[in-house]
Amino acid sequence: MTGQRRISEAELHAFVDGELAPDERGEVETVLGTASAELALAREFRDLNEAIKARYAERLNQPLPPAMGKRLARLGRNGPTFPRQLGRAAATVVVVLGAAAAGYVARGLVDGPHAPDTAFVARAVAAHAIYIQEVRHPVEVKAEEAHLVRWLTKRVGADVRAPALASLGWRLMGGRLLPDQEGLPAAQFMYEDGSGRRLTLYLRKETGRNNTAFRFYERDGAGSFYWIDQPLAYALSGRLTRDELLSLANAVYAQLEAPTGAKAPTEPSKGQ
Amino acid sequence: MASRRQAVAAEIPRLRRYARALLGDDGEADDLIQDTLERALARLAQWREGESPRKWLFSILHNLHVDGLRRKSRRPPHVGLESLGIDQSAPAADGASGRDLDRALQLLSVEQRQVLLLVGLEGLSYAEAAEVLEIPVGTVMSRLARGRERLRALMDYGGGDKNGRAALRRVK
Repeated sequence: MTGQRRISEAELHAFVDGELAPDERGEVETVLGTASAELALAREFRDLNEAIKARYAERLNQPLPPAMGKRLARLGRNGPTFPRQLGRAAATVVVVLGAAAAGYVARGLVDGPHAPDTAFVARAVAAHAIYIQEVRHPVEVKAEEAHLVRWLTKRVGADVRAPALASLGWRLMGGRLLPDQEGLPAAQFMYEDGSGRRLTLYLRKETGRNNTAFRFYERDGAGSFYWIDQPLAYALSGRLTRDELLSLANAVYAQLEAPTGAKAPTEPSKGQ
Repeated sequence: MASRRQAVAAEIPRLRRYARALLGDDGEADDLIQDTLERALARLAQWREGESPRKWLFSILHNLHVDGLRRKSRRPPHVGLESLGIDQSAPAADGASGRDLDRALQLLSVEQRQVLLLVGLEGLSYAEAAEVLEIPVGTVMSRLARGRERLRALMDYGGGDKNGRAALRRVK
């Protein structure tokens, strides 16, 4: 430890919050490799974020209370205090709110212009089709093995997480590493429900394209919702109804959501 | 405008989640969201092209929240059912520990809670949180650090990890 670069507390927070530029991040990661106390603290900070997200995740899918819808609907009825145009605006929002209430808009309704290429989701669905049939070797590394996520994070080159879907009836079986385009590594997590149906979450690093809303792809009876939430592209695939798959995709997204927007590199040691 | 309205609607679940975590009460949270949406609709034209709808809406929510706090401070303190020991929260998947987290969050200062939730729950960058809250980035960072430290103590994280804290003090 002597002579080694020390990490400040502010830097640790910035690290956990994804605020560091790639080179700073790499530097901190290197130091954390040998600084167990700091590493433990960074994990605690991250666990706190995770605990908060997990606690409020279900709120993303809660229907709007009727009173709220009603009040907004009143706005839409061209009441005397509102100009006509605004009234219409409000009415449209009420319509869209209906969709929100149904849990359809946690991710956003408007498709961005930069979709992930369909080759990505096609590969995800192909990998789904191949591995869900496996009886003895559905996964390469089982969920019980602590290094599963660490290993895939390292190989994929971005912070990979396996969402917890147990409360929705899906048990994480484990995961595997797969080749994506041009030999880039991709990860696949597999889940199973009580009746033996299987669900896979396929992901790979994606930094060249903008974030997108959910899109749907279907092939040979397997459906997949896919989206980009930088730095990763995701595809959640299963032989389920579209609605079932969508609500699972919403749950996955809620758990995995990454920081929004571009992260400006910060100088955590200053500004206190 | 239609796409703007859709973009606003798409943010509602997140706004509600944030408001619920911030205020610790469903009713108050939905009142705040209601006001936020009404103001957002009325000001749709002020939303600058290219500005993130999320950041814009969180700014509106924040301003309304602060206005509300100011009004409240002039009134006698509200005695909620929570403070009488009656737990109103719906049983969450994580049960008691979730309610502990609710309570612990409510024990932070409102400024710490705002930062902790905008960054930790909603994934805003420090710069975005600073803009929403109209404070310098450095203040975001110091509130975040203090808030996390406090929450960590309240949640009894690192209870058996005195080394971690001692080492951190050394490296500061």
